[in-house]
Amino acid sequence: MRAEAVGKRWGTTQALSGATFEIGPGITGLLGANGAGKTTLLGLVLGMHRPDQGRLEVLGRDPWRLGPQVRARLGYAPEHEALPGDVRAHDVVRHFAEVHGLAAREAQTRASDALWEVGLGEERFRPVGTMSTGQRQRVKLAVAIAHDPEVVLLDEPTNGLDPVQREHMLGLVRRVAHDLGLNVILSSHLLEEVERVSDAVLILDAGRVVRSGPLGELRGGDRPELLVEVDAGAPAAERLVGELARHGVSGVAAGASVVVSLDSDAVYDVVRDALVDLSLGVRRIERRRASLEDVFLAAGEGGA
Amino acid sequence: MSERAGPEARILERGYRRFEGVRQGRGHAMRSLMAHTLRRILGLRRPARAKVLPLMSIVFAYLPATVFLGVVALFGRFGGRAQARQLVPDYADYYGFIVSAIVLFVAFAAPEALCPDRRSGVLSLYLASPLTRMTYLAAKAASVAIVIGAVTVGPLLLLLAGLTLQGVGPDGPIEVMKVLGRIVAAGVALAAVFTAISMAVASLTDRRALASAGIIFLLLGSGVVGGILVAGLGAPAEAFVVNVVRSSLEVVARIYGESDTRFAAVDTAVVAAGTAAWALTGAAVAVLRYRRLQVTR
Repeated sequence: MRAEAVGKRWGTTQALSGATFEIGPGITGLLGANGAGKTTLLGLVLGMHRPDQGRLEVLGRDPWRLGPQVRARLGYAPEHEALPGDVRAHDVVRHFAEVHGLAAREAQTRASDALWEVGLGEERFRPVGTMSTGQRQRVKLAVAIAHDPEVVLLDEPTNGLDPVQREHMLGLVRRVAHDLGLNVILSSHLLEEVERVSDAVLILDAGRVVRSGPLGELRGGDRPELLVEVDAGAPAAERLVGELARHGVSGVAAGASVVVSLDSDAVYDVVRDALVDLSLGVRRIERRRASLEDVFLAAGEGGA
Repeated sequence: MSERAGPEARILERGYRRFEGVRQGRGHAMRSLMAHTLRRILGLRRPARAKVLPLMSIVFAYLPATVFLGVVALFGRFGGRAQARQLVPDYADYYGFIVSAIVLFVAFAAPEALCPDRRSGVLSLYLASPLTRMTYLAAKAASVAIVIGAVTVGPLLLLLAGLTLQGVGPDGPIEVMKVLGRIVAAGVALAAVFTAISMAVASLTDRRALASAGIIFLLLGSGVVGGILVAGLGAPAEAFVVNVVRSSLEVVARIYGESDTRFAAVDTAVVAAGTAAWALTGAAVAVLRYRRLQVTR
């Protein structure tokens, strides 16, 4: 999937602006706050909307011009409720498999397989309306995978789920990609779940792509960091950054904390000496790896 | 004691597999949607309450034909078959007996076909499939037309077949074919007009009940307006085409070479144009509505 300077406006709202990115195989997290343009981007990928500017290519085709051909190879589970309550889960999944081009007999078999795969094998003949929110989310996932698409688009698949159901759904997303071999684009505003399942991330902010790439790369190659939280608040953290810089160690202040790159073990000594020299009380010192949250916040600051 | 597996024993692995076959195209998707919509309208694979209205409409539409055929058969036993035939209305007049059933079916079918997809959000799944807005709408319209056709064509076909088999039908195969052609043409014309109008109203609201009430209001309301125009305000007789039910039934009458005496002076072209205008307006409203419908941002 490839986009070059794609833009889309809804009335006075610029939903996407100059979006340029590439999405490869595996699980790609589409991350952004509500209203960042995630659903608009999915709509463009599905060929439901025409981009106002730029060029978008999905599976080697223009989704707006060749929508039916592209969509036959995509699976989609929308964010909102999208299932008829009085129809049995199996009938819904079978019907959408047929609509995506499978012959009736094949659709019948694959609907059962997909429902077993998402853990609803025993429940497959129940009307969708009698199912819990978590089960309905899984029926949507079954609809999205039953016709064996090349790419599955999941829009906020954990919406409305409790922690146990969310855990199960994230497990299913990983399984869809790693065991079943389907590529997944997971749209979510929840950093933590994107970080847990994604191989790559595309971060949107107010319609702009602020960062994109493999997760490890975005986190700085998974280099470790030292988080130092000082007692005296943000001004003290800024002083600590200055002191570290004098000794050739880079750090970034965030509130009362300083994140220091752990390039070598000698950095520990530099940090200790700097704290002593400035007479700063320490609330917390923690070795950690850069998280997606750091990337997201840095991207937000960069974009602001 | 354990049994040994025979040579025909196999281990069947249940589980998700990649699909290696050939994917069908847009026509297949439309046929699948049509079949699904037909099942939905008729209440098949759904709770019993979903079957009540379609069943009632079908019974009301076919009951008069069944009764007339029964009367002819009964009289036939006593040698009065020809007299009994006199009791059976002409094909064009039969619609007068079933117009209520047709209106009931029309008011129910299109809302059932269109409204739940928008209300439940299923439309977004359809538009994420090989279907487009227009192919989706075409498949839905075809389904609605087929079920309406079941009550505008079916009962007349039953009547023709029954009368012909009892020897009181049209004279000879050519006459039978002529009547058959008129039955199909009249039934298809009615189905087309009522499908377009009911699809238009159903496209304007997500609520089935509201759409059904709107369709009935439009069909009956147009009759009131037509009556006021012609009888109350002294408008020319041509103005009766404002009454969509009356003008559609007049088209049927003209297809059978007959006419309502009140509108006999109105040219057939005017009747056809007025009825076609209803159908085209209905279709245009539904198409415009679905073109502009915002499904997802």
